[in-house]
Amino acid sequence: MDVLVKYLSLEDPNVRYVVVAIVLLGGMSGIVGGFNYLRKKTLVGETVAHSMLPGVLIAFLLSGVKNAPVMILGAALSGWISICVVDYITQQSKIKGDSALAIVLSSFFGLGIVLLTIIQSSSFSDQSGLDHYIFGNAAAMTPVDSAAFASVTLVVLLLIIANYWSLKAIIINSDYAESIGISRRRMDTLISIITILTISVGIKAVGIVMMSALLIIPPTAARFWTDRLVPMLIISGVFGSLGGWIGAFVSYSQTNMPTGPWTIVSVSVIAFISMLFAPRKGIVYQRWNKLLLRRRINEENLLKAAVQNEVRGKGKRFTRESIKQRQFFEPNLWNRTVARLSSKGLIHRVHGGFTLSTAGRSYGADIDRRHKIWEVYLRRRMQMSVNLVHDEAEAMEHFLTPDIEQEILRELGLCSRFNPILEIHEIVPDPDVV
Amino acid sequence: MDAFWIIITGFLVASSTGTLGNLLLLRKMSMMGDALSHAVLPGIVIAYLISGSQASLPLLFGAIVTGVLTTFLIQLFSSKGKMQADAAMGTVFTFLFAVGVILATKYAGQADIDADCVLHGELAFVPLEQTVFYGLRAPAAVWTLASLFLFIQLVFWLGYKGWVLTSFNPEYAESVGIRTTLWHYALMAATSVVTVVSFESVGAILVIAFLVVPAATAYLLTKDLRLMLVFVVFQGLLSAVGGYYISDLLDASISGSMAVVSFVLFVISFLLQKKRGLKSPL
Repeated sequence: MDVLVKYLSLEDPNVRYVVVAIVLLGGMSGIVGGFNYLRKKTLVGETVAHSMLPGVLIAFLLSGVKNAPVMILGAALSGWISICVVDYITQQSKIKGDSALAIVLSSFFGLGIVLLTIIQSSSFSDQSGLDHYIFGNAAAMTPVDSAAFASVTLVVLLLIIANYWSLKAIIINSDYAESIGISRRRMDTLISIITILTISVGIKAVGIVMMSALLIIPPTAARFWTDRLVPMLIISGVFGSLGGWIGAFVSYSQTNMPTGPWTIVSVSVIAFISMLFAPRKGIVYQRWNKLLLRRRINEENLLKAAVQNEVRGKGKRFTRESIKQRQFFEPNLWNRTVARLSSKGLIHRVHGGFTLSTAGRSYGADIDRRHKIWEVYLRRRMQMSVNLVHDEAEAMEHFLTPDIEQEILRELGLCSRFNPILEIHEIVPDPDVV
Repeated sequence: MDAFWIIITGFLVASSTGTLGNLLLLRKMSMMGDALSHAVLPGIVIAYLISGSQASLPLLFGAIVTGVLTTFLIQLFSSKGKMQADAAMGTVFTFLFAVGVILATKYAGQADIDADCVLHGELAFVPLEQTVFYGLRAPAAVWTLASLFLFIQLVFWLGYKGWVLTSFNPEYAESVGIRTTLWHYALMAATSVVTVVSFESVGAILVIAFLVVPAATAYLLTKDLRLMLVFVVFQGLLSAVGGYYISDLLDASISGSMAVVSFVLFVISFLLQKKRGLKSPL
């Protein structure tokens, strides 16, 4: 607890530097990654991050010193070239995007390793720490890094705001956007530019794999919470920052724990939680909804069958056996369904079976009527064979609302109290059969 | 003699990985090689921790388990969790890699493993450790990789029909009763095995490079899968020889140089390519 308070208060300057920098970096990558995610180019970041190594090392070889701005420039150039090569390969040959990414990634990185080993075996004085561009060194982040991240974030945000509507149009429907004169090429280039900017300033701090993780995972998690662009980008940025903050905390409170990997694990856990528990899109919500739907359909089928029994003069009392012909229920399913219906007051338990309550009867009759209306609609408007309409109506009866019901009746020119006793296939002989 | 063994090692790795790379390329899953080579890290670390040595059997087992687990998780996230397929892959492999790095740092004292060695590998050390087998004296790595090569060729040719059907026309394969998922998992398991066996001597980069670059090179030159395999093996030989002499000249990483040479070969075939698709030989 004490550790947490100390961490929260940020009184230790070393902690402060790392936390501020990683929260900025996480937020920035979350937002930028959101665009890559929505353009379905999630793995581009992985390729660009690997491809920056030769650029960094060539910049070092040419300048001879470890000068951060020069090396960032080298990284950005090399990342840019890698994107161009990927595009060129996919346009000029039958090789697909995925393979082109893998080819460029491994070749550029191989070249980088060659350069790195050349530098290591020669006598450059200032060469220690070059491998931070591969593995990162989050613990050593300084206010200079924070300043760099903050300014890049600012530039990225400005670029996004300046091109907001075009970007949004391209993301939502790129064909439509093209047709109203927005250039897909230009917007994709813009997304590439912000991606390269982000990776080139971030890579020395956190390394290749974590850089791509920060671009991939936060938007993936954010997508579970919303369908809207701006909220998604904000959530994605918040998740990236939160992951970085937790990662830095774990590394601070435990000895010998690396910040970068813990940041990845934290954002991954956020993504797993989102996937499971997000409202509407999470697995738990969807499963629960499906269960509720299945229950409702079973209840409605049972009520409908009981109503049909009554209408056909088979008495008010019904049992599993007596409605078996209309609707078959497994004994367990039957017991669960009647228990739910009794507790809702839709049916009553009587000696030797059940009867419908008034509410239950009217509910069942509604379902039965919708079934018949849908059958008539299919027969008249879709010219469907009468022996096919029943199965269609079996599903549709659970989803028709009173509004749609009235709409259909109006469309068919029928009385709004249309309520036939028999189903259509029981009245009209199938013309195909005749 | 050292040069000979190093080239042989590079060649064996290149042709084993390239064989599987063909299938990955045809299934449009090349990035899966990259994902698997990162994702097997926790499996490797745990296997090291349990067995306490670099003995190969637990390591292979760990690799297969993590490889299949990775594939399973990606499948699960994209089908049940409705993630975009590439996002699911990116999430799973970076997560597993991070877990691997954390385990490796935490137990750094106990496991003789560091991320540096995983990534680069060191071909120059291959000839140092020699084993005599049936009267033949060769580096231990060469024996392992030669068996790997034979194993992969066996897997490829025995399952040739299945691989072709499930790669070119999965719907048809499914309809005639072939379990495409099973083949998918088998390919992923084989890829993990190759990655793990190879990474020790050549490092993860060369594995990724050889999984995809030679296959892509061959894909541009021929439309026959069998011929593709021949090209892949041939390219493996060329890049092993070329890479070795370049690295000797520049005093640079051997595996990196091999990756660069194989990219150069790719560029050459890119210039020579015929713009036709590969047809199923069946």
